[in-house]
Amino acid sequence: MIGSLLIKLSFLACVAAVYYYYRAHRSGEVRVAGTGRILYHISIVAVMLASAVHLTNILTHDFRYSYVWSYSSVELPTSLLISTFYAGQEGSFLLWTLFTALTAVFLIRYTRKMNYEPEVMFAFGLIQSSLLLMMLVKSPFAFIWESWPGEVNPGTLPGNGRGLNPLLQNYWMVIHPQVLFSGFTAMAVPYAFAVAALMKRDYTNWIRPATPWLVYGAMVLGVGIMMGGFWAYETLGWGGYWGWDPVENSSLVPWLFSVAAIHTMLSQRKSGAYLKTNLALSMLCFIFVLYSTFLTRSGVLGETSVHSFVDPGMWAYWLLIGILTAFTAFGFGLLIARMKEMPARAVRHEVVSREFALFLGSAALASAAIFITVGTSSPIITGILQGKITAVDISYYSTTTLPLGIAIGLLSGIGQLLWWTRSEKGEVLKAILIPAALALVGTLSVLFIGLEDIQVGLFIFGALFSLFANLEVGRRIVKGNPKYAGGAITHVGLAVMFIGFVTSSVYDDKETVSLHRGQSIDVLGYQLTYTGFSPIEGDKFAFHVQVQKDGHTGVVSPIMYRSSFTQGLMRNPDIMNLVTKDFYVAPLSLEPGAKSSEEPFRLAKGESKILEGVGVRFVDFEFPDMEKAAMLEGREVRIGAILEITDDSGASERVVSSRIFRGGEVVEEPATYGNRYAFRMVGMSPDREDARRSTVDLVAEPIGSDAQAASPSEDILVVEASVKPYINLVWNGVIIMIVGFLVTIVRRSGEAKLKNI
Amino acid sequence: MNMKAILGSIIIVVFLIFGSYSFFETNLEYTDVSGAMRLNKKVQLKGVWNKEKEAFFDPTTTQFTFFLIDDNGGECKVILDGAAPNNFELATSVVAKGNYMETEGYFHATEVLTKCPSKYEADAEEVNKSV
Repeated sequence: MIGSLLIKLSFLACVAAVYYYYRAHRSGEVRVAGTGRILYHISIVAVMLASAVHLTNILTHDFRYSYVWSYSSVELPTSLLISTFYAGQEGSFLLWTLFTALTAVFLIRYTRKMNYEPEVMFAFGLIQSSLLLMMLVKSPFAFIWESWPGEVNPGTLPGNGRGLNPLLQNYWMVIHPQVLFSGFTAMAVPYAFAVAALMKRDYTNWIRPATPWLVYGAMVLGVGIMMGGFWAYETLGWGGYWGWDPVENSSLVPWLFSVAAIHTMLSQRKSGAYLKTNLALSMLCFIFVLYSTFLTRSGVLGETSVHSFVDPGMWAYWLLIGILTAFTAFGFGLLIARMKEMPARAVRHEVVSREFALFLGSAALASAAIFITVGTSSPIITGILQGKITAVDISYYSTTTLPLGIAIGLLSGIGQLLWWTRSEKGEVLKAILIPAALALVGTLSVLFIGLEDIQVGLFIFGALFSLFANLEVGRRIVKGNPKYAGGAITHVGLAVMFIGFVTSSVYDDKETVSLHRGQSIDVLGYQLTYTGFSPIEGDKFAFHVQVQKDGHTGVVSPIMYRSSFTQGLMRNPDIMNLVTKDFYVAPLSLEPGAKSSEEPFRLAKGESKILEGVGVRFVDFEFPDMEKAAMLEGREVRIGAILEITDDSGASERVVSSRIFRGGEVVEEPATYGNRYAFRMVGMSPDREDARRSTVDLVAEPIGSDAQAASPSEDILVVEASVKPYINLVWNGVIIMIVGFLVTIVRRSGEAKLKNI
Repeated sequence: MNMKAILGSIIIVVFLIFGSYSFFETNLEYTDVSGAMRLNKKVQLKGVWNKEKEAFFDPTTTQFTFFLIDDNGGECKVILDGAAPNNFELATSVVAKGNYMETEGYFHATEVLTKCPSKYEADAEEVNKSV
């Protein structure tokens, strides 16, 4: 109730602030801008309070709210409980709005100093109002009886919620969405500045105050994207850090535009050209954030992605389209209207000049963004063109972006060398020669290892060239003024990351294997032995695989468990980090061993099966609290299945068949029934969320038979093992890039301040 | 016309041709069982998992086998490289990417995407049950 009111209040205050800021822009009156500022702060405070209410609802388990009921439960630990704030669509819009409001706090003060307040806050206020409008349609404060009118009685308070999707239940969920939404929020600032520039008819100076925000946005969004990649690689077990999935692509596109804008802004500073390009690129950063939101929130991609997109309903769908269209039309309409009066400074540069290298670099980045957008939108494009929905294959993305990657590598080397050396032909040539020679040696040595694709060879050459060129440039700058080293450091990071891309995804090796318990087999040059499994966190199981190579031994323990939330098998990989490579083990399934002549059978809780002469019913698991404590401490654990055996006469008897987990080893303790049967428990899947779904796999062996005399059955673990050489280069490259971005932000915000004093 | 404008236009044209060629070359058509049999190229086969028939993972070949029924009632055996995808049991429909193997008589999938029910969100019955 109070939450919805706060959202409405915030929306109204924001719209009013937008109005007053517009009037302040027209009239230039300081007092009117002051009114706008007060109203904007009311909107900010209301959003903050609404977020606090939302968080309180979650923490107090107020399941009367549809959102709280849908995404959380009493079992969740506090950190994950907090993360349910943004686990659903409504909550993530609230998080985005909150970050936008918090950004506005700083932006108001910043633009006031820079003399851009009415215009920038007018545009930024429009963005915040749109997000608030979205929340009026998709509110996290709806009660369950409002979501299902007539079906749920008003005032109903459920005892527990549905819980959080287990895929989201890990620490990445706690930090990744915040970073990504911070990036989305930051991308709105260059848009607001570009609109402000057009309104003020100031086409040149606006880039000074806008640049630090643009670089900050590019850094934060970049970090968010790579965190998502690391999450996918390390926990979700997608095998790689990048799958060209719509969700990944659509956040990469605004990033590419922002990086292109950083480069053309640099050109504008030096040459005074690219006025329109910079305005357009700055607006595109945010427009593509909106487009990304539309693609991933509207359900329009349907079945073409591994992410399941929930249909948000017709209202939200058309509102998303409306917001996207409005901001595109407004920004570009204004740009076109002002185009005629803009000073046309002819772009004049030599073919071998730093400006031209910058221009080509930006063009390559923008082209990559366009190719990726077209590919990601393929279900929409083909739907309109052919009336039949199709999607591009993953290979489309590597085919189109690889040539651009080569260009980006080469240009980031040449451009930097041209930038920092005097552009005399002889000197430039000399500067290029050494990095080029080193890169050639590097590429040739890679050729010796084996290379199938000429383009990959060129990509390696480009990346190595950029690396050596930027190392040289960086060395020279640091000797002079280290504050200027941002660009060189970022490009070194980029080159390192590029090299990591090749080593880890072109020279990787992958094999799917079945590991019989206790038997070593050679996989990709490693001796793998599956030694057994043990329960962790109650009903999850860690499967232990011993990895041996050259006398060194390690253990990886990928995890598998059955979840009643998704009713599916959850799998988490485990990785052995070696200095030069990752050994990656993704579990696929656990198969019962086929050693016993008796077929195993599965019983759900309460289910019975008739064998020859007797009936057997699975009553429940025997898992005393004492054992749970033992498990947490890593001591020996015994889990039993209580079986009720009934004979012909109707007399029944309860026996317990157990499995004992002892430091990675599992020992079976069969239950015997008279001298007729030994019941072995060969598999089990207790279900934490719903005990009725718990099952056991049993084998009934007639006592005295051959099978019973044989060794206990050996289960088979099926895994996909892969070796990813030098994948650390990818992560290290990203970290180096972040450092470069930070250095640039410090320098550019210093300059923005200087200009104003 | 100066050199740069000509050079620029050539680059743009080359990119356009290259881009649209890649786009149409890699486009995977959505189709049903009879379409997959007829087209003889990599397609996306859409349908539902036939729960009546066997579905199993073979540890020796490390492939997962199941039967798929399309919207028109056509049925075919699908063999996927790897294990069943995460939400397979829950999926209301599945999309298998791959080729139909004419001689062997099954659809060889390299990837299977699952579509979860939109009611996955929740329904009133479940709310009332949790009271």
